[in-house]
Amino acid sequence: MIYVNDLGIKFKMEKRRRSGALAFLLERSRNWRRPTGEFWALRHVSFTVERGETVGIIGSNGSGKSTLLRVVAGVYPPDEGKVSVDGEVSTLFGLGTGFNAELSGRDNIYLDGIMMGLTKNQIDGIIDAITGFAELGDFIDMPVRTYSSGMRARLGFAIAIRADKDIVLIDEIMGAGDVAFRQKAMVEMNRIMGEKTVLLVSHAMSTIEQFANKVIWLNKGVLAAMGEPKEVIQQYLAASKVKKAPTIIE
Amino acid sequence: MKAENKNKILGFLWSFLNPLLLLLTYIVLMQIIFRRGGPQFPILLFIALLSWTWFASSLGRSITSITSKVGLIQSVRFPLAILPLSGIIIGFFDWLFGFVILLPMLFIFEASFTVNILWLPLLLLIESIGIVGTCLIFAVLGTYLSDLSNIITFAIRIGFYLSPILYAVKDTVPERLTTLYMILNPFAGLLESYKNVVVLGLPPNEYALVGMAVSFVVFVVGLWYFSRNEYRLVKAI
Repeated sequence: MIYVNDLGIKFKMEKRRRSGALAFLLERSRNWRRPTGEFWALRHVSFTVERGETVGIIGSNGSGKSTLLRVVAGVYPPDEGKVSVDGEVSTLFGLGTGFNAELSGRDNIYLDGIMMGLTKNQIDGIIDAITGFAELGDFIDMPVRTYSSGMRARLGFAIAIRADKDIVLIDEIMGAGDVAFRQKAMVEMNRIMGEKTVLLVSHAMSTIEQFANKVIWLNKGVLAAMGEPKEVIQQYLAASKVKKAPTIIE
Repeated sequence: MKAENKNKILGFLWSFLNPLLLLLTYIVLMQIIFRRGGPQFPILLFIALLSWTWFASSLGRSITSITSKVGLIQSVRFPLAILPLSGIIIGFFDWLFGFVILLPMLFIFEASFTVNILWLPLLLLIESIGIVGTCLIFAVLGTYLSDLSNIITFAIRIGFYLSPILYAVKDTVPERLTTLYMILNPFAGLLESYKNVVVLGLPPNEYALVGMAVSFVVFVVGLWYFSRNEYRLVKAI
């Protein structure tokens, strides 16, 4: 179960969040206080996700979708409000951004598994399932930097799905991979639905509609609507002044 | 976090070759060009160089340890301290490899073995505490200040010449300045101690106590500073 109450996440807005040491000293010597502002990536967000629910998260770019997933993953602690996540989390953010490019696919499975809190024995137990699912062939022992983006997506998806955690967080990933893999991924999604709690961020409304039994619409960091997928998607599309969801060629 | 030296056998070979080549360079420079250093110079230099390199390479790695793992940090929650610490452990393995090479050389150059060699683990412990503290602090600073690694590369180079690696304190530093020098450079006492216990068969240099005190303070400050900034770092990258 995921319980979010009045969540707020604040970021500092500076021209450069990271600055050079020289620039830092120069600026500091000129005026003691640097001009700073803050903005709330998320504010007053409250919702509950029951065990076994699949929740789609939609919204325009920069509306806080990815930030929300990171909060649930425990990466960002809330600046306001409360978040409690009951269960272990596996994440799939972007195209294998967590991979170490120099290591082989196999070593990355171990690395990712350990980061998710699995033991080496547990990973030994699932590694065949992961490599089998990802269908990378000999590439599994090649460095990840040699992978195409589709291959990275497959590997990431396979790990996230097979890590066998209670909660799976997926950020805009279903589009990658070829037709055959997408089909497999769909089957796999159907399998874990109902069994696991899934948060799914996507701009592909068809994917959301297909899997989610609830949809959250984020608008500029505020929860704009939540409820039945069809209704919320309609509202979102209406607000974005799009008459019809852009058709995705399957 | 076995990533660094993962280019398999070549990487392994380089952990042996790197210190050897560096060592060779300095031996040629000092003994043949400047005609300095006694018969034991190569092994005195080697042990000091190993211990210095452990510190310097760990520090260098720690600065970019956070920023180079943005993807990982933003997708999984884990204690960030693992990142600089893994660099320190890699550095320690390099030290061990180097020491294995040093062992036969100790016999060739007739180092005096005494019971004082038993001080070595303590010296390593003191140094590791100091390195952990330093690296935790610079991992944070390196994340906020993007040009820090340039400054530190320079500072490490200066530090190399200011530390008793190519020379011995008693031959080089005027006697009335010794105390001042040893206090200003807390690493110096440690380096002299390494040479004493491994090569010369003497007890550690008394100024190793300075190194011990500084290491301990830096360790405590590092832990405090890092834990205070851990969450801010996640948002700053």
